[in-house]
Amino acid sequence: MKTITLTLKKFSSIALEFEELIPDTIYNWSKEDFENYQVPVGNSKFPLTNYFDIEVEGDAEGPEDVKMILDGDMSRVKYIGYRMTAGEIIVNGDADLQAGAEMIGGSLKINGNAESYVGREMRGGSIEVMGNVREYCGTSYIGEWRGMSGGIIKVHGNAGKQLADCMSGGEIYIGGSCDILAGIHMTKGYIEIGGDVTRWPGGQMKNGAIVIKGKLSSLLEGFENEGIFVDPDIEGKQLTGKYIKYKGDIGVNGKGSLWLNAEKNRNLL
Amino acid sequence: MEYILKNGIVYDPTHNVAGDKKDVMIKDGKIVDNVSSDAKVLDVTDKLVMAAGVDVHAHIAGPKLCLGRLYRPEDSRAGLVAKTDITRAETGFSIPSCSATGYRYSRMGYGTVTEAAVPPLEAKHTHEEIMAIPNIDVSPLALFGNNWFVLQFVKANDLEGLAAFVAAWLKLSKCYGMKVVNPCGSEAWGWGMNVHGIDDPAPHWDVTGREVVRALTQVNEMLGLPHSMHVHPNDLGHPGNYPTTIGTLDAVKDIKKNPNVIRDQTIHCTHLQFHCYGGTSWRDAKSGAAPVADYINKNKHVTCDVGQVTFDETTTMTADAPMEYDLYKLSGLKWANKDIELETAAGLIPIIYSPKAPVNALQWAIGLELFLMINDPWQVVLTTDSPNAGPFIRYPRIMSWLMSSDRRTEMLENEVHKWATKRTDLASLDRVYDWNDIATVTRSAPAKILGLEQRGHLGVGANADVAVYDIEPENFDATKASNASVIEDVMGRAAYTIKDGEIVVKDGKIVKVVPSRHMWTNVTGFEEQEKKVLEDIMPMFNRYYTIKFENYKVFDHYIDPAIEFKIDAGK
Ligand SMILES: [Zn+2]
Repeated sequence: MKTITLTLKKFSSIALEFEELIPDTIYNWSKEDFENYQVPVGNSKFPLTNYFDIEVEGDAEGPEDVKMILDGDMSRVKYIGYRMTAGEIIVNGDADLQAGAEMIGGSLKINGNAESYVGREMRGGSIEVMGNVREYCGTSYIGEWRGMSGGIIKVHGNAGKQLADCMSGGEIYIGGSCDILAGIHMTKGYIEIGGDVTRWPGGQMKNGAIVIKGKLSSLLEGFENEGIFVDPDIEGKQLTGKYIKYKGDIGVNGKGSLWLNAEKNRNLL
Repeated sequence: MEYILKNGIVYDPTHNVAGDKKDVMIKDGKIVDNVSSDAKVLDVTDKLVMAAGVDVHAHIAGPKLCLGRLYRPEDSRAGLVAKTDITRAETGFSIPSCSATGYRYSRMGYGTVTEAAVPPLEAKHTHEEIMAIPNIDVSPLALFGNNWFVLQFVKANDLEGLAAFVAAWLKLSKCYGMKVVNPCGSEAWGWGMNVHGIDDPAPHWDVTGREVVRALTQVNEMLGLPHSMHVHPNDLGHPGNYPTTIGTLDAVKDIKKNPNVIRDQTIHCTHLQFHCYGGTSWRDAKSGAAPVADYINKNKHVTCDVGQVTFDETTTMTADAPMEYDLYKLSGLKWANKDIELETAAGLIPIIYSPKAPVNALQWAIGLELFLMINDPWQVVLTTDSPNAGPFIRYPRIMSWLMSSDRRTEMLENEVHKWATKRTDLASLDRVYDWNDIATVTRSAPAKILGLEQRGHLGVGANADVAVYDIEPENFDATKASNASVIEDVMGRAAYTIKDGEIVVKDGKIVKVVPSRHMWTNVTGFEEQEKKVLEDIMPMFNRYYTIKFENYKVFDHYIDPAIEFKIDAGK
């Protein structure tokens, strides 16, 4: 096991980019290697040591033996865990854009809030965010019609707009509330939202399931009511309580399912 | 600057030089037969030497490209190359950034590219993009096949008026030649319709594709434009379309070629692969390559380029908007439409050509059948209709398929869907291209077809556009399947690309960036008629176009540097 601890000593208002600092590339780096490393900052590169105190303990045979700890405010550090395939990254603070984007395996935990594009085009592994995430969590790249295809994203706080756009696999759990267009264009996968949702979940969804445990303010016209189910089993997940089931989006001949907590959405009964 | 390329193995089909060991001499941007002792010697002993490549049909500049880049940001992130001291950063795979387009052609040893579809209304934009593309001279073709004025002249059977209109519009748009796309079909799209076959009239015009192609071909020969009529026939991509293709080619058979042009053909059929389908639907679709190849073998008034499918995720873009809509209905992928007022309508949609998909395997095999069934390589040009059937950076891969029937067999047996074997004759074709054939279909033939006297060959007086490849033709067995990847590699990164006597690529890397020239045709001898035609059409122009005529024209500063081809139509 190798533990790498980067402790922020100087905050840069121009974002640092961490796409190279993932367990896959650094598992065999010594302390000196980190000290010699130049981190991309804007359109330039500067020594990592300008920004961080670095500690390296133990040895790793491969990325799976690596635990990276990022201590401090990482709200201007982008691409944490980008394309990682194994190992563990823990952020003790907030994270900037693209945390866990294109992640393939391993785990990323953010003990704070994260900016937009958490887990974009994720294929595997797990991401846990203790705070909130902004827009486009678990989505595709802009323009791309193939989105998150695997892995698990768990957000304890709230999620912003267009959660899981074009999702085609994997699971997303949002503990808090969620803004517009969750699960838009999704073709497969599972989304569970613990809190309230503003508007239009599942727009143009073809398949997959969205569960909303809180109140939904506005449902799209393309969803057909299929009745009320008690303690439903949805894609292998046992839920408790009464749920109204909808099928949609019929505008695109969709066979997706949208489940709304019946108690919280009595206006739709 | 003088250069002497020493001891290369030279292929110059125009002058019947096929693999001779000889020197190529360059002075002041031209090929010469003598240089002074100051000439810089480039030792290319035993390496493959050809004229720089000439592309007869690609989509590299203009509104469709711009729409594609806006609409497919996901394509932009492929093909990323960081900037260097000489080059700008590159982005994009099927729709590269402008500078990347120039670098990539240049690295393959190409020096001239035809932008195949310029709506005159958007010609300014096209020339702006050409200004941003380095290292290749560009011959843009203006779209005429669905233009309201053209339809009007054809309906009135006024060839003289039509000729004056074409002469005027080439000047206004600063284009090199004429292109017709799905004649009458893109106009029908304005009403949500298409036309089927060459005798189905455009709604409200009562004019057919046959009439448009015939009239414009007659005008092309009347004016003596350097390039011939360049046609994308009706019914592109539809099973059972090959009779429409043959019908289109045969419709102009009797039209006499202008005596002053260097080309042999009166009609060039582009991306022929998309127009050679048999059957009645995608269920029973099969190859229609054999009858079309047979027609071309018997008719010297026809040339073609193939539009070879390369099995990539790419972007289709064409001024055949109804076809793009059909494709959207088939694939369900995101679709964009672009209406060009009185001129045409374009569409755009991503496409994934998979070797495992029956239809794509069939298309791939039909393209190769055409290469192998058309006997005279001077009648067929290597293209992918870039990016429609695949991006142009795949040309070297296509060369490897043409040079090795073993490689094709290997693919038929292991890599592509069985429709390629069962519904085409590809498996029975063991013809292979040699380096002379490759030189013909990638430089000599396209240059001649375009009417470019100074390109595509290495004779004295030709532009010093030369490509040297890091391969020794005499010590290399191109027919071996295992050598296919070597061909693809070396033909994709020229040892030298020389443009107008300057080294722009060395060892596969861009070492110099030069501006691309805008090639355009200036027809003289029709001034009076042009003036009258402009007066006649101005009321309709002012009524229906959204812009003023004063702003329509491409001003000279959009085409700097330019090459003007002056044609005396009175001759
Ligand atoms: Zn084309």
